[in-house]
Amino acid sequence: MSLVARHLEANGIPTVIMGCAKDIVEHCGVPRFLFSDFPLGNSAGRPFDVESQALTLELALRVLETAPAARTTVQSPLRWQEDASWKLDFSNLDRMTPEQIAERRREFDEIKAIAKTKRNEA
Amino acid sequence: MAFAPEHDVPIPYMQRTRDYYLRLGYGAYRWAHFAEVPFTPPLEPLAQSRLALITTAAPYQPGVGDQGPGAPYNAAAKFYKVYSEASDTVPDLRISHVGYDRVHTKAEDPNTWLPLAQLQKAVKSGRLGALTPRFHGAPTNRSQRVTLETDAPELLRRCRDDGADVALLVPS
Repeated sequence: MSLVARHLEANGIPTVIMGCAKDIVEHCGVPRFLFSDFPLGNSAGRPFDVESQALTLELALRVLETAPAARTTVQSPLRWQEDASWKLDFSNLDRMTPEQIAERRREFDEIKAIAKTKRNEA
Repeated sequence: MAFAPEHDVPIPYMQRTRDYYLRLGYGAYRWAHFAEVPFTPPLEPLAQSRLALITTAAPYQPGVGDQGPGAPYNAAAKFYKVYSEASDTVPDLRISHVGYDRVHTKAEDPNTWLPLAQLQKAVKSGRLGALTPRFHGAPTNRSQRVTLETDAPELLRRCRDDGADVALLVPS
């Protein structure tokens, strides 16, 4: 998505990204970014929380209007939950047994094979 | 005011993902990275602008397995070409084809990855001038070459065809 934002921007269309993966988006380098410190999959706000979804869009629009230069990141003030321990879980090897790691590998090989078939058909 | 815990920072996804795939026995992924970043200031206030929404969510495809809510990663639900749908509808889009946080999110509410309902409200209230007649889907196929050479130019073409002044991009 960052690559697409850059391409649109370079061709005269101002862009803003809403997202949850701060390091990846900033590493690529994008014009404007509204960052929500939420689990991946919630770029546009919290589930069944219309107020948080409205605020997230409003913040993104303000970033679009007011960013003074490229690489402008604004972090939403919303928190996923008070306890931040959810951040320790995502792909964290320290929290997995060798059996779980072996299972993940098997799953990933399966996913890659399906994606390859699908890509070749497309 | 007390200090926050050390781990209460944005998740270091690149480091986590690198470590994870190395331990699983795969090579290191290289994320796209540029020193220069383009910047185009908006020409008009948003109340007079037409906005294009771009999503990585996938249209629901009957017959390719569980696509959620709460579905396991479903590579068969991926798509490989840019698609467009009318922006004045409520589309049936899913995110089972991407690696969202399945421990802490079940993908039960599409409004968490597709702000279309909020955008429609923003147009009604006059905050935004208009949406382009279509929103667009960007494939997530992990090939930076395909994104740069095929998908990004196609998305630009569609945004221009629709008279987009600005764009909102929402990765899922």
